[in-house]
Amino acid sequence: MAAALALGLVAAGCGGDDPVAGGAEDLPGPVPKGVTFAEPPASAVDAPDFAATLVDGTPVRASELWNDRPLVLVFTASWCETCADVHRTAARVVDEHEGVALLGVVPADDADAARDYADELDLGDPLAAADDEVWLDYAAREPPLVALVAPGGKILRGWPGGVEEAVLARELDALRG
Amino acid sequence: MKALAAAFAVLALAGCGSSGDGLDMRITLVVEDENIRAEGSECAGARPFQYVHAKAAYMLEDGGGDALVEDDLPAGRAVNADPSIDWGVERIPTYCVFELELDDVPRRPRYALRLARGSPLPFDASFVEGGEPVELTLR
Repeated sequence: MAAALALGLVAAGCGGDDPVAGGAEDLPGPVPKGVTFAEPPASAVDAPDFAATLVDGTPVRASELWNDRPLVLVFTASWCETCADVHRTAARVVDEHEGVALLGVVPADDADAARDYADELDLGDPLAAADDEVWLDYAAREPPLVALVAPGGKILRGWPGGVEEAVLARELDALRG
Repeated sequence: MKALAAAFAVLALAGCGSSGDGLDMRITLVVEDENIRAEGSECAGARPFQYVHAKAAYMLEDGGGDALVEDDLPAGRAVNADPSIDWGVERIPTYCVFELELDDVPRRPRYALRLARGSPLPFDASFVEGGEPVELTLR
């Protein structure tokens, strides 16, 4: 009887607290002690701050992520066949740079499908759905687009179509304190 | 023999088997978004045409607005927006082009392609009856 009930609950998806890929569990922890970053050039412009919703429903604000660390934004979509590779490449470079964060951003109308996308990529980084206005603010007319924001919120670079691994690594190396 | 003929007639009325008199149709959907891309790369419509992308639903309607075909768009391919210019760089102004192939479409005098947003894009059957693709443009 108990076994049947447990089986039923599992089948219904109940009772599980499994973290959702791309959800709150994938938000970065504090910047490790001893990791510091350089000041961005004075000429750099402010990155537009925005609110978005992670694939598990958690609200997130970009400025909270870039407050004390570089943030790599990957504008992507579940239906975009080339985006996954661009996203993976950016995530790999970010993984190699301690203290740097990555936030994937999908269109608001792609929020449901984005859960499967996050599941499939399983990058360990948060993935959020954001309104059209956010895409326009970053001149992300079409995914993929990668943008680099310096600690404190100065936008440094944007790469429509994606960025080569070595190029992003070089940019992040230059931000080391 | 009469029974056999009657059975065939019933099957035909029921729409069983291929009617064979439908229209195989090719539609080239050109999104004139003038976005900067590498020519030949996979693309989706750039804003404000962001609703035109791989896996987005489309519908082919007849002139009266009845649905004839419902399917998803394939990925688009970037084509040079102005082939008269030698841009001299890899990433150039492009349009995003989607190639649709529809088989055995019921014959109607007029059709229209309906996307997720915007007005349907109408065309006459005469444009596709010769087997050539009909070009529809979003600009």
